[in-house]
Amino acid sequence: MSGAKDRMRHKKMRNQPSSVTYSSPDWSGSQKRNGGDTPHSGRSFDSSSHMRGGGPSPSDRYHQQGGWMRGRQAGAQAYAQDLPKCLTASSFAKARAAEVNAMLKAVNKTTGSCHVFGALPKHMRRRAMSHNTKRLPCRLREGALKMLEKSQQSAQKGKKELSKNKSRKARRRHGNLLLEFNRRQRKNKWLETHIWHAKRFHMVKRWGYCLGDRPTQKCYRACYRAMSSHCLLQDLSYYCCIELQGPEDLLLRSLSRLTSKETGPTFAASLCLSGRREGSVMLYRPDQYPSQALGPVLFLWRPCTKGSAHRQLWIWAHPTVKQDLLPELKAVCQCSEAVVPSATAAVPVPAPVPTPVPESTQPSPTGQPTSRKRKRTDGNPDGQPAKKIVGDGTRSPTTPVSWRSPVSGIVISDLSMEIVRYRLIGPLSHTVLSETLEPATDCDAESKSKSCAFWWPEHCKNQDNMSLHQQQSDIFQLFKGVYSTAEFPAGTVLGLTVDDPRLTLPRKKDKALPNLQKAEGVDEDRLRDISLRGVPEQCSHSALWEQSVRDNVTDNKISEQELNRMKSQLLVPGSRLSPVPLQGRIPVLLVHQPGKQQGQEMASWGTGWDLLLPKGWGMAFWIPLLYRGVRTGGLQVGLKHSQNKGVAHFPHDYPDCPAGARFQQEQEMDLLEKFKRRPPSKRANYIKHGCLAPFRCPWQQLVEEWEEIVREGGDAGKSPEDTVTGQPTQLTEMLSHPANSSAPRGSFAVLRNRKALKQLSAWCRPTSSKGQRAQRGSQTAALCPASVASLQTAHPSCLVWVRLSLLTKGHPVLHAMVCVPTADDLQQLLKDPHGSGPQEPQHKDHFKSRIKRRKKGHKTPSSAPKNESSDPNKEQGSDSTQSLPMDQGSSPTRCLSPEPSSTPILTVSKEPGIDPTNSASSGENLTIGLWPKPLPSVTSHCSRLTLGWITQGDFSLTAGCGEALGLVSLAGLLQMLLKQPAEQRGLVLLRNPASLQYRFAKINIEA
Amino acid sequence: MAEPRSPVSATVPQTPMGLAPPEGAVVEMDPVEYTLRKRLPRKLPKRRNDVYVNMKTDFKAQLARCQKLLDGTAGHREICIHGLGLAINRAINIALQLQAASQGALQLAANTSTVELVDDLEPEDPDEAGEPLTRTRNNSAIHIKVFYPNPQ
Repeated sequence: MSGAKDRMRHKKMRNQPSSVTYSSPDWSGSQKRNGGDTPHSGRSFDSSSHMRGGGPSPSDRYHQQGGWMRGRQAGAQAYAQDLPKCLTASSFAKARAAEVNAMLKAVNKTTGSCHVFGALPKHMRRRAMSHNTKRLPCRLREGALKMLEKSQQSAQKGKKELSKNKSRKARRRHGNLLLEFNRRQRKNKWLETHIWHAKRFHMVKRWGYCLGDRPTQKCYRACYRAMSSHCLLQDLSYYCCIELQGPEDLLLRSLSRLTSKETGPTFAASLCLSGRREGSVMLYRPDQYPSQALGPVLFLWRPCTKGSAHRQLWIWAHPTVKQDLLPELKAVCQCSEAVVPSATAAVPVPAPVPTPVPESTQPSPTGQPTSRKRKRTDGNPDGQPAKKIVGDGTRSPTTPVSWRSPVSGIVISDLSMEIVRYRLIGPLSHTVLSETLEPATDCDAESKSKSCAFWWPEHCKNQDNMSLHQQQSDIFQLFKGVYSTAEFPAGTVLGLTVDDPRLTLPRKKDKALPNLQKAEGVDEDRLRDISLRGVPEQCSHSALWEQSVRDNVTDNKISEQELNRMKSQLLVPGSRLSPVPLQGRIPVLLVHQPGKQQGQEMASWGTGWDLLLPKGWGMAFWIPLLYRGVRTGGLQVGLKHSQNKGVAHFPHDYPDCPAGARFQQEQEMDLLEKFKRRPPSKRANYIKHGCLAPFRCPWQQLVEEWEEIVREGGDAGKSPEDTVTGQPTQLTEMLSHPANSSAPRGSFAVLRNRKALKQLSAWCRPTSSKGQRAQRGSQTAALCPASVASLQTAHPSCLVWVRLSLLTKGHPVLHAMVCVPTADDLQQLLKDPHGSGPQEPQHKDHFKSRIKRRKKGHKTPSSAPKNESSDPNKEQGSDSTQSLPMDQGSSPTRCLSPEPSSTPILTVSKEPGIDPTNSASSGENLTIGLWPKPLPSVTSHCSRLTLGWITQGDFSLTAGCGEALGLVSLAGLLQMLLKQPAEQRGLVLLRNPASLQYRFAKINIEA
Repeated sequence: MAEPRSPVSATVPQTPMGLAPPEGAVVEMDPVEYTLRKRLPRKLPKRRNDVYVNMKTDFKAQLARCQKLLDGTAGHREICIHGLGLAINRAINIALQLQAASQGALQLAANTSTVELVDDLEPEDPDEAGEPLTRTRNNSAIHIKVFYPNPQ
């Protein structure tokens, strides 16, 4: 009998008097079905139950039988013999009395939930019945009213009274709303587009920010299409900018301690140093390369001014990198002196601590003094108008944001939230930009002559500035003649000054499409020049680098309200504001982002532009961009973007960085919580699937175990490992050296040495595969034990970041295992290239019985632990006898049934079953389907050796097959490559955590 | 239109035009020191009846696509088949197959052109001296107009 049926039966029996029992229908049915002569067995059962019920007369017996045993035809004549001669009414009624009572009781009592309208048939129920009792029929109102009162009382008890002293209207008034918003962003910062996002996205609190994770509408494919054929917009303002200023050579010298040339171009790469391109670099703790990675950053040098060695550098880092990076930067630059911000700091003041912030000088003649007054009076009890937070609201105004070095004069300032960064992804992002932005119009001579509070007229006075602006806008006009963003050289930087984009807002949302007819006039030669050489050096300059200009622009922004008023006063509704207001000139920087650069297919997929704006202008640019038909994406789209591009995503794919480790920890907590939220019967049993770590990858253990395997490789097989690592002894001798001399292990690293990666990448390719051109062989050594050993010596305890694409079917998911195929598997693949791959035999769950045993104990009432704690001696004794009584009480139905006879069993099972120490010790780490903490060997747990795990996996819409990104052990990878035949080199098996099916996949290493 | 795998090193006579750096007159680049990254060929706006042929998609599928354009509900009177480099052969093949299948109702008009392609050369050694180079090379392309002649 299944559990559900059991429960049903119990429910039925709940109100029955103990004297009345009935056999379960399927019991008798099965008896009948079994053939045999049923009446006898059935009767015997019934009679026995009646004996317990107090011995009715034999005449009742027949009726009872007839009642319980339905549809009995076969044995009809057998009954005829039993028919009683007479019926005594009194005894008959007495025997039924108990049953009738029970029935009446059951009928009167409402079942299920305590709602009164549960008694109503469905068609008589009405909406909001539980609120308004008058919606109920009269006869039920009284009970419902009682219910309502009770629930209100309990609700008041549970929650503390919500203070709603203000009406909704008052709360939604602008000033109060701002106060409320400011209060809410005290802990987690809001981006400027927060409110826009919060209405449309699932928001998550991450890294000290409130960020949009994914849109609430269904747009997975639409976002992909936008990225591959039009444009997708993402708010990346949460990335932190750190500014470094100082002499170039000093800066380079101190920064070089954080980087290594082996990982690729550094801060000193000439093209980046000139300021024409944005670069990216991997940072390490000072002089610690290759261990102790910090994380990847983007950096941008300000183009040098003539004859000055003083340089300015922006480092764009993920917020989790920043918190590690900033102290290191201060250390290497010896910047210890904190520069205390002055009273009128650039950092805006949070509203709760109102300090006089210089209000923007609004030159407009304010026509509505009344409205303004009212706002001020009821906006804030202190009489101070609530100020919208622009920039970082969590920081107190006195926190230093810049540090100076007394020795070298280097100044580090933290510009996080000072600059808005939008990312446009897609081949038409330049079209969107060129439609949205318009180069700033010159200001007329009159305003030039006057001195003005705005930066643009001052800027215009200098002839050099104007010619530069002219050049920049010429180049920007060329954008119209370009068909795809991929035509620009990677990382190009273009500085620009633009008009307020709100002025050119189109009436209707429309998709921006390139119109080459319009761009007839574009000079072909110049276009070619741009695409070959990029933007000339001087054009990368922008006023955005100047702190004073940024502040000026932010402070003097025309408010939306003001702008709308000006628009409404236009003579022709809908026409453009003809003289653009003087404060509407914004310096911006456009930074090109390269697309997919590695691999053969879908080159330069996901290319785009980053738009850098001064703070405060976020929404003013966001809406106009949206009006050009872009899609918006959140964090999840960012992840998919990097996955399709085949680049590592931070912090997911950086387990060796502190931020990556923290991320993994959080991820484990999340996944575990999610797992435990499922009902136990619906959870995957990971032990049975042979998955040791479904939620967190033990990288350290993996690396150590593989080194162990390699060291012992040549020994005679005694473990399952030898199926793969039956090594020639010569190799082990060679490998024993690095093992002995290796540095004290304790941390693993991810291999980022360009040369080593290049070599690995060449080795991973099958030598004679279709479409694979022979490598330029001169640079890479052939794959042989010696070269493998040398590579391994150079990089001990390393992981390699790989991209896997599945050969046939399969949809890899997070934390899928990458395994080494055996020789048989490869043979099988040769025979049947479309086969589904080998299977893992199901593992046995030894922990399940233990957990079950423990759980039984838990079922007993909570009074039990009290006895136990009072008597510790008893516990120890009970441990041995624990299993015995449990078997007796194995059926929960019996334990719970109200029969008086069962109570002794219950008490017996209760006493030894509850063992607080036992349940405490095993209760924490024993969950059904999960391995308890000290994991066994992760590599040799399954029938195939585990190489590593997947950090991101999905069906790739670009490749049309499953694709995954993950990390594998370098030692393991090399061993595997050595063993594999040349034409099948680089093939691995992939298995999802909740599956037994292995799938073949191909390893690609990007170098 | 993905660029077909055009030969990198050997077959196409490379014309290092030395456009990029000022000192680029000596473009005797050593393959060890540079990584070659090919950019996509310049895209052109695409009409509905333009078919760009590549070497990755199945031949049959591309042929079927062209056939569908010609006689489906779309019913274009003419389509343009474009092929670049290695895909020229395939473009010609598709056009001829279409003509054969139509029993002479279709006519072809072929044009050839030269497409300029851009390669990026990234220095392997990230030394300060190593400037990334950009060079252009040319590749041939064919544009075949497949059309029903106007009944006079």
